[in-house]
Amino acid sequence: MTTEIILENISLTLGSKRVLKPLDLSLRSSDLTILVGPNGAGKSSLLKLICGDHQPDQGRILFDQIALPHWPLDKLARRRAVMTQSSEIAFPFTVLEVVRMGANLQAVDAHDADRRAMLALEAVDMERLAGQRFQALSGGEQQRVQLARTLAQVWSPCHEGQANFLLLDEPISNLDIRHQIELLQLAKDYTKSGGGCLAVLHDLNIASMFADRLLVMQQGQIVGDGPPNEILTNDLIAQIFGIRLQVNRPPGCPIPYILPQTFFDAAEPQHMSNPS
Amino acid sequence: MKISVDRLHSSLKMVALFASFSCVALLSSPQLHAQNHAQSVLTDANGQPLPENASEKVVSVGGSLTEIAYALGKEDALIAVDTTSVFPPRALKDKPNVGYMRALSAEGILALEPTLILAEDGAGPADVIALLQEARVPFASIPARYDAQGIIDKIQLVGQALAAQKEARHLADQVRKDLDLLQSKVANIPPAEKKKVLFLFSLRGDRLMVSGKNSQASAIIEMAGGENVMTSFDGFKPVSNEAVLSADPDVILMMSRAGTPTASREQVLSHPALSATKAAQSGSLVVMPGMYLLGFGPRTAHAVADLADHLYPDHNLGSSALFSEQKTGSAH
Amino acid sequence: MRSAAHPGSASLSGDRSLLGWTSLLVLSLILICVAIVSVTQGASDLSAVRLLSFLSSWITDQNEGMSRRDAIILFDIRLPRLALGLLVGAALATSGACLQGLFRNPLADPGIIGISAGATLAAILAIVLGNSLFAPLEAFLGLYMLPVFAFFGSLIATITLYTIATHRGQTSVATMLLAGIALAAILGAGAGILTYLSDDQQLRDLTFWSMGGLGGATWGKVFTCLPFIALSLFAIPFFAKGLNALLLGDHQARHMGIDVQTLKRSLVLCIALAVGAAVSVSGTIGFLGIIVPHILRLVIGPDHRFLLPASALLGAIILVLADMIARTIVAPAELPIGIIMSALGGPFFLWLLLKNRQVLAL
Repeated sequence: MTTEIILENISLTLGSKRVLKPLDLSLRSSDLTILVGPNGAGKSSLLKLICGDHQPDQGRILFDQIALPHWPLDKLARRRAVMTQSSEIAFPFTVLEVVRMGANLQAVDAHDADRRAMLALEAVDMERLAGQRFQALSGGEQQRVQLARTLAQVWSPCHEGQANFLLLDEPISNLDIRHQIELLQLAKDYTKSGGGCLAVLHDLNIASMFADRLLVMQQGQIVGDGPPNEILTNDLIAQIFGIRLQVNRPPGCPIPYILPQTFFDAAEPQHMSNPS
Repeated sequence: MKISVDRLHSSLKMVALFASFSCVALLSSPQLHAQNHAQSVLTDANGQPLPENASEKVVSVGGSLTEIAYALGKEDALIAVDTTSVFPPRALKDKPNVGYMRALSAEGILALEPTLILAEDGAGPADVIALLQEARVPFASIPARYDAQGIIDKIQLVGQALAAQKEARHLADQVRKDLDLLQSKVANIPPAEKKKVLFLFSLRGDRLMVSGKNSQASAIIEMAGGENVMTSFDGFKPVSNEAVLSADPDVILMMSRAGTPTASREQVLSHPALSATKAAQSGSLVVMPGMYLLGFGPRTAHAVADLADHLYPDHNLGSSALFSEQKTGSAH
Repeated sequence: MRSAAHPGSASLSGDRSLLGWTSLLVLSLILICVAIVSVTQGASDLSAVRLLSFLSSWITDQNEGMSRRDAIILFDIRLPRLALGLLVGAALATSGACLQGLFRNPLADPGIIGISAGATLAAILAIVLGNSLFAPLEAFLGLYMLPVFAFFGSLIATITLYTIATHRGQTSVATMLLAGIALAAILGAGAGILTYLSDDQQLRDLTFWSMGGLGGATWGKVFTCLPFIALSLFAIPFFAKGLNALLLGDHQARHMGIDVQTLKRSLVLCIALAVGAAVSVSGTIGFLGIIVPHILRLVIGPDHRFLLPASALLGAIILVLADMIARTIVAPAELPIGIIMSALGGPFFLWLLLKNRQVLAL
């Protein structure tokens, strides 16, 4: 049975700004859904709506057929974990202590919490730094620790036949290429084992590599929704990012890729004739 | 680091504020008890007569009581004094100090195993007094009244407490004689010549704290034939510059603590309001030691005479003419 | 309490639970020693040896009782004072630790950011207007008038401060400190006005009480503040996990299943209860709430499951020790304990400010 997060006719206004125009969306477990779009398109706002940080102007959000406000906070926390962009921690906790805060929810006792925290740390390749002060870590390491904390909160993708969800806001923005790939593979495996995952990403190539479903947002609307190789087109990129890039589709490979070099069309011949 | 400096500054101000409150509290105690009837037989706080041996080991809490004990020649009976016992100076040097009269320590006093605690009205805190009574240490509170009779009663009560009734009667007679004589001399000053006196309690940060009516300062000014210019309130209160200007005193009276005046001559003369008064322009600033001026003890007659001399230099009210027999102590 | 260590945890890098449990045990032992020593110290000659001989004669049921004076010194002076020191020390240090968690800032202290000032103002109100404007209330509340007023004073101050310093779930350190200073100034002015209105007897009460100290300790005071402080100290450890999560941020804590609003309200209530009750019986004693949690964080880390009870223990230890110094160093007089705490805490706070300069970003 797939678990779904369903957004029904949701819109969001922050201050006087219409951040999200009315939209319907349903997120299925077993899919790694990746949300992309230009800055200010409303990606993070959409994610915050789904984790309950923002209240929609209208419409409702159902998690597992129950509207979000009706979920007891602690029950909800055992079913979905959130990783936000901010990773500030006020006091000098160790890495293990931070991750244990997430593990506590599922753990039966302190020992179990330690065990779960270490598993999560191993998953993000941070187990060797478990004893370090969180504040002393680099940005990328902090991000991996926060991801471990999030993972530890809903460690098993499924619980009694019901899927758990990971909601990740730019989880790999500070990571090196190896860890970007490893961590997204982790998210992918999570969904393959039945869990659900929605991640906001910026890197279109990484997104196309891992996404089962790509959501493209622009100005508070979802303008593209589907498998990456179907919806990533030159025109869509030009339309939403305002820059013309070539989407390449190598023969025999299902994953499109985009190089950060402008796609020169006939309208701009001067670049061609002006080698520097 | 600006924050911490500001913060320190403001805490210092708070400390200063509280310190000044506590001085006011020390000085303004009499008002409530001014109506007390003169007490002739000393009892403990429960109204019981004092035990026979009460005068053996006495803790004196209150500067004027210590002064009286020394004037009666009973200093050996005192086993400890409080911080307000500044006269004679040897009292605080020779005797253990039980602290400020309003912040006594119960165990500290019990440790001395006193036979009597002789306290000026207003000693405290109340919880400590209650504990001392609980421990059955006789506690005698001496009422404070700021007039001649008040001093005489006080001397006689201390005399009883220290088993020195004869010496007390002698001292009381002397004080009564001196004060009566001063009173009659002062009465001769024509109302038109009466000096208007401002008692300046403190001048902190150019803010004036002065004495109104019903205070030791006001009483002593009147005993010396002066007139307190501030009559709109009781006790010691801060006042505005304008109020002082419109009161326009002829004399500004201040006290000194441990030889230091509460405000220097330069401070007074440069103060926007004070400098414009008649007192400042004629240089009529009088500084007298605090306990001497406001203590209402055996030296009060001298203090009144000194003050009268300062107020009316031409009237020959002089203390030199008054006290032939015994000089209990000019602090100058 | 659970047994000290669970197997395997000692070897786990980054786990300070064992350290936490050990510290709690050690602090408890120290507290017991300090309490015993404090009972044997004082201006009078009621020493440990004599107390022991009384104890042994009492146990062997010999008829060699204490003198009335000794009994009073022990039972009516030293013991209530010890009890009050334990309660007030634990209350101030624990509420300091809570407040720092709530504000996510190691510089928050009930004394520094105006919460004690709120309690003070309310208590002055109770003293000055107790027999006029609030006479019916005083008749109803009796002995509890002062702590109840102080509680509401600190509650209002805490809520005001939190509202000013927190914007969209983010607490600004600079705003908090500045607002605290402004609040303390406003409350100080209010106290000044009330002082002006007060009569002589009230002024004396105020003066003594505003000095801060345990000098007037009686069983009456102990039992007046006991219910408030006990309730608060009993409740606060239940919020430890919530406080930990709160350190990651309001949203993050909510994602982890913490009802942040309820948590914060409960904490503010507990802090106000503890600070209000402490201020009402002992005046303002500063810096305990900042020194104690800070030292503990350096040793056992910021995990509130250990930090909160350890703060209560260490706060009680330090205050009882400071009070022991206060009442013996100039015997038979005594120093106001506020002076000792400020002498210790002032430089410490400045050092902390220096260390946190970049955090303040002023």
